[in-house]
Amino acid sequence: MQDHRRRPFTRRTLLSATGALSAGAALSACGSGGGSSSGGGDLVFWDMVWGTGADYTALAQELAGGYEPEDDALGVTYQSIPWANWYQTFSSAVASGTGPAVSTGAAFQPFSFLEDSAVVPADGAIALLEEQGKADFLPGLLESMHTEQGYAGIPWGLDLRVLWYRESMLEEAGADVPTTWQEYLDAGKKLKAAGKIGFGMAAGSSTTDAQHSIFALFINNGGGLFTEDGEPFADSDENIEALEFVEEMVGEGIIDPRSASYTSDNLDSDWAEGRIAMGFGQTGFDKVMKDPVSSDLRVMSPVTSTNGSTGTIYYINAIMLYENTPDQVSSDQYAAWWATQTDEFWLQDVMIDLPVTERLAANEKIASNPNAVIAIEEWQPIGKTLGAKAPAAFGALNSVDGGEAAAAFVQQVVQGDQSPRQMLETLQSELEQLM
Amino acid sequence: MVVVNAYPVLYAAQQSLHDGSLIAQGPFVGLENYRTVLTDPSFWKAVRFTLVFTLCGVLGSWLVGYALALAFRRPFLGRSILKVAFLLPWVVPVVVTSMSWNWLVATASSPIPQFFAALGMPDVLFLADPTLAVVMVCLFKIWISFPFMFLMMSAALEGIDDTVYEAATVDGAGRVGALLHITLPLTAKSTYISWVLMSMFTINDFPTIYLLTGGGPVDATTSLVVLAYRSVFQSFQPGYGVAVAFLMTAALIGISLALFRSIRKAD
Amino acid sequence: MPWRPMALTLLAVLCLLPIFVVIGLAFRPLTSSETAGPTLESFIHVLTSTDLPIWLRNSLLSTIAATVISVVVAAPAGYVISRGRSRAVSAFSLGIFVVQSLPVVIFVIPLFMVFSRLHLVDSLTGITIIFVASSLTVATWMMAAYFDSIPASLEEAAWIDGCSVLGGFVRIILRNSLPGVLSTAIYSFLLAWNDYLIALVFLRSEQNFTLPIGLQTFFQQNATDWGPVMASAVIMMLPPVLIFAFLNRFFSVGGIGGSLAGQ
Repeated sequence: MQDHRRRPFTRRTLLSATGALSAGAALSACGSGGGSSSGGGDLVFWDMVWGTGADYTALAQELAGGYEPEDDALGVTYQSIPWANWYQTFSSAVASGTGPAVSTGAAFQPFSFLEDSAVVPADGAIALLEEQGKADFLPGLLESMHTEQGYAGIPWGLDLRVLWYRESMLEEAGADVPTTWQEYLDAGKKLKAAGKIGFGMAAGSSTTDAQHSIFALFINNGGGLFTEDGEPFADSDENIEALEFVEEMVGEGIIDPRSASYTSDNLDSDWAEGRIAMGFGQTGFDKVMKDPVSSDLRVMSPVTSTNGSTGTIYYINAIMLYENTPDQVSSDQYAAWWATQTDEFWLQDVMIDLPVTERLAANEKIASNPNAVIAIEEWQPIGKTLGAKAPAAFGALNSVDGGEAAAAFVQQVVQGDQSPRQMLETLQSELEQLM
Repeated sequence: MVVVNAYPVLYAAQQSLHDGSLIAQGPFVGLENYRTVLTDPSFWKAVRFTLVFTLCGVLGSWLVGYALALAFRRPFLGRSILKVAFLLPWVVPVVVTSMSWNWLVATASSPIPQFFAALGMPDVLFLADPTLAVVMVCLFKIWISFPFMFLMMSAALEGIDDTVYEAATVDGAGRVGALLHITLPLTAKSTYISWVLMSMFTINDFPTIYLLTGGGPVDATTSLVVLAYRSVFQSFQPGYGVAVAFLMTAALIGISLALFRSIRKAD
Repeated sequence: MPWRPMALTLLAVLCLLPIFVVIGLAFRPLTSSETAGPTLESFIHVLTSTDLPIWLRNSLLSTIAATVISVVVAAPAGYVISRGRSRAVSAFSLGIFVVQSLPVVIFVIPLFMVFSRLHLVDSLTGITIIFVASSLTVATWMMAAYFDSIPASLEEAAWIDGCSVLGGFVRIILRNSLPGVLSTAIYSFLLAWNDYLIALVFLRSEQNFTLPIGLQTFFQQNATDWGPVMASAVIMMLPPVLIFAFLNRFFSVGGIGGSLAGQ
């Protein structure tokens, strides 16, 4: 008797509640028509948090607020997007049609989105820039953005990796500033004797720092993970030679065994405490550090590798235009305008990355910073993307950069248990699987 | 609730049958993703680690929790405050505690390695050495989970009638004997249930591992759920990642149901 | 034994070392300031110069709402499971068990697509709904387990006296279920308060961030500035800790297993 009277009531209540919820959902879905989330006909612009963080965002918002569209082009709404889980944010937005019309983002994002047709080629916007005479990009950058379908985006910032050193620490250890890999080893050994790390990097699974540094060394030796056609070729002779250099550093203790688990915070704190004397870093690294470390940091000139080559890795940050825009012409106009506005970030000192135009490179602010000058004049021309030796980057690089295969690879390198050839062969088969 | 949960599950099932990116479906590849997963050594490595992690986590936290529950059985000075204190590892958000653990052991200038160095011991690579990283992750999990076991076992102990002990003492049972032959058996059902529950939580536990080691080094601490997440969001292979997740869940449900049934039979 | 509190205190101190670290570091001054030694500077900075108070408000709103709704829905559902032993109910219970076992990772993107159609993205309402859905399964079990411990004879007596089923539920069961209700409430509260992944995907504008996300962005922008980061962590820690400090008497998890095994 008890079951009889209880069940119908409560179960029905539950079921009807669920029913009401779904009905409501269906109704409102019909009503809204599922349009994009832009407010009042404006373009939505998503900008990541660049440079020095809070200051950058404040300035960017101010600049965007001052946009005055020509004719009847649309205005813009600015939104700042945090870096954490950026791919989830973007992909869920794009998949549901609620993404932005224009955005900045990660280095390979324009390429993979272009391949998936979420982003349209930036040729229109670049043409506008050329008309205005503002397309004076530094050598090789625009070419690196070119794909079969057109330009994946407008370059606006360059994340270039250069070798930094602590001047005072090298002096104390009696080491000379290296110009070749062999000299680097010698300096490293002297530093190790003084209890310092000669090649600082973070190889933990949540950061891409070590991956960037080691792949930079591959490029330094004239190698790279891919062939000119974009096919994976991790176990090339140049790469093996470069890895042998790295393993020698591991053997001599120039690379800290602890770095296998380092997060980027761990790395930063080691630099800040003066445990690390040399290592790869972004171009604005001295701005991230505080004094006394900051004024002691110098960029060295590119070092020559075992087989006599130079090179480094860079990541081009681009403005991309989305397929899901209320008006393509407005997008082009805004994107081109924003590309010129970004000059302000360097002029007001909130950027860590390098500018990408000749006009900014020649600017007083940049030209008076010796570290920036060395970076632009000596390192930038020899830089290549992660897709080396392919001429441009491509979408699949997203899986490589920060993916499990690369993370496991650099950790194996730090542990140094296997031979360079073995580790590269493992990496090669992983890359083949990813492509 | 059904609505909120059903659609995503179906969508995800579809994702596992295609070879696409996060925004494009990609071509239909049938069960190929599942085949790739089952023949991939990384998958089995993750299975092994998940087993180790779960066993250590469940048994470790149960032992500590039970010991504490026994110690807290009778009232004593400061009992309530100490009880709250011992609950903290579980209550404080993982985001916070993982930052703290990392700060304590990660670099050479971190306190614990410094402490070891002061004692003249060699460099201990807490998080950088694969074996030690596994140890650290298991320890961290035990630390986070024992309060839950503490609560469950305390409740179970409360359910035991004290008269049972009086009878035992009359029969000449000592303290240890009472523990082994009375207390443990009488709390057996709760014990088994807590093991099953904790196993479920542990196998699915993502933040605890990911926030401390990110799954490294060299995938040494990558459990199945971490593997699924990394495949989807770091390697951008959603088909593979979702396949892993479904396989894992199927195994989890199968085992749990079997265990529950045997617990019920033993009742 | 007089030494028991002492031994346990020692153990607690050792055990809580990581938590003392958090609290200790929170009293560090900002790296940009001149002060040396312990100070409340970081707390002040974090409360006045950042968006922390907004995040705190958002977390409180969504968490309390989710908790209340969770309990209100879980109670009748738990009641059904506890009293009704029909096959349909068992199937339902099994269903929610299955769903509970799936890792959240799977849900995130498709759920996002549904929510964006409903304009629930970047809103506290949206995430509150998801919080409720996530905690309902265990909440229902907890309530069912608790109701299991109340003998059915109590309601039966009420029905004989002419009470309706609903009346019986409210007057007899709920009145005697304070511990059960509190346990469920505390559980839902913790789940919503600590949630990271859901808030991360569904919230976009800084004005809508909850504490875990705010803390994360804060951490990224100010990496090695431990003072403010830990100060925010302490603030984030306080509500759960306080709740547990005062209400832990009522929090009983012992019963969950009983209702599960009974299925």
